[in-house]
Amino acid sequence: MAATTESVRADAAEAPLLNKRNMFLGATLYVVFYAWVRWYEGVYGWSAGLDSFAPEFETYWMNFLYIEFVLEVITAGLLWGYLWKSRDRKVMSITPREELRRHMTHWTWLVMYGIAIYYGASYFTEQDGTWHQTIVRDTDFTPSHIIEFYLSYPIYIITGGACFLYAKTRLPTYQQGLHLQYMVAVLGPFMILPNVGLNEWGHTFWFMEELFVAPLHYGFVFFGWAALGVMGVVNTEVAAIAKLLKKDLA
Amino acid sequence: MSASQSAVRSRAEAVKVSRTFDWLILFTLFFVVLGGYHIHYMLTGGDWDFWTDWKDRRLWVTVAPIVSITFPAAVQSVLWWRYRLPFGAVMCVLGLLLGEWVNRYLNFWGWTYFPVNFCFPSNLMPGAIVLDAVLMLSGSMTVTAVVGGMAWGLLFYPGNWPIIAPLHVPVEYNGMMMTLADLQGYHYVRTGTPEYIRMVEKGTLRTFGKDVAPVSAFFSAFVSILIYFLWHFFGKWFGGTSFTQSV
Repeated sequence: MAATTESVRADAAEAPLLNKRNMFLGATLYVVFYAWVRWYEGVYGWSAGLDSFAPEFETYWMNFLYIEFVLEVITAGLLWGYLWKSRDRKVMSITPREELRRHMTHWTWLVMYGIAIYYGASYFTEQDGTWHQTIVRDTDFTPSHIIEFYLSYPIYIITGGACFLYAKTRLPTYQQGLHLQYMVAVLGPFMILPNVGLNEWGHTFWFMEELFVAPLHYGFVFFGWAALGVMGVVNTEVAAIAKLLKKDLA
Repeated sequence: MSASQSAVRSRAEAVKVSRTFDWLILFTLFFVVLGGYHIHYMLTGGDWDFWTDWKDRRLWVTVAPIVSITFPAAVQSVLWWRYRLPFGAVMCVLGLLLGEWVNRYLNFWGWTYFPVNFCFPSNLMPGAIVLDAVLMLSGSMTVTAVVGGMAWGLLFYPGNWPIIAPLHVPVEYNGMMMTLADLQGYHYVRTGTPEYIRMVEKGTLRTFGKDVAPVSAFFSAFVSILIYFLWHFFGKWFGGTSFTQSV
């Protein structure tokens, strides 16, 4: 009886396999932050974002751009640096239960990546279409671009990099080398950001108007396909988790 | 880890953990595919999808199915061929439609003030249901490509007809004959998209009147079949689990 009670107590004291609190807090952080960003666009897009030569444009938009650049570099440096610095140097000798717990944490990161990709590739990218088909641009750094290219894209890049680093530094599954489809799923969407160079060059030199299906945008399309690499991650994870559970779940 | 050790302590816990992973995987897959599919679709067929005055009987009918069968084919190649889950196409289209509707309300209407009945997205759901049903019933990639791919192209216009028909009613305005959708575009000026780059129905095909939409749908169905084959194999590659030693 005593032994049973101790065993139950030990189980109760153990960290949960999935830390739901962290997951919901993380998701809330993205959603609340982007709700604020959307509010900011709504208020200052029309009132201060139409003329890039106006002083209010500098105040509300260019300063936003400078601040986000700095914060993104700091966030990426701290987060990626922490994940690398705190890596498990004996990752192949962890217990199966700890490995399962880490897979759950890994999936918490991937859920954040899903949210970040949604906002970057879907929400703010299509939003850019209606803004630039409505407003005549006089700069590459329009209110829409300052949010889409230089905020939402870096955020999903930082999140995707964190997913990959977490898997590589803490999970035995990913110690055989570099997972090709995982790299594609993270690096492909990352390449959308450098492709902004092509986009801005084209819009600056020969095509100021906005036509979303213009060939100038096909680079974004090509790198967007890379998101499908997440299917390779799913397949790898399903195999790893089934092996850990050692249960016939049918 | 020890090969004989299990990470869970009971069958009940194993089932619970497995179900938890199911939800985590489904959520992530849904939103990552949504992001990839949406950026692909908005930049290859987007303008025809954004505005009703682009939703003509020729190019919209031709372009939209061809560029939209891509991700459904790729996701089916993993969800069905690895897990026997018959909802790859519907999942993709549900994701795309969610992303589009959120955008059209919160941004097209909420930020740039276009009415939703001018910028609602195309309906791809009938084709997606048929594509999944054909794959489930046939279990064949070839049959799905040929029958499902053809249905994908052919069903697009009928699937959208109840929504678009009232806007294709002819009207005369300032002595010019146009559709109600054209009139919407005339009044809701998109300053950043000059009229000269609007690629809508034109050319000799228009003189054949009633035949335009079926001919366009049939051509679209033909190309959709080919695109399905191609993207099935793309999907297989993206679903791979290979490792490389260096980059």
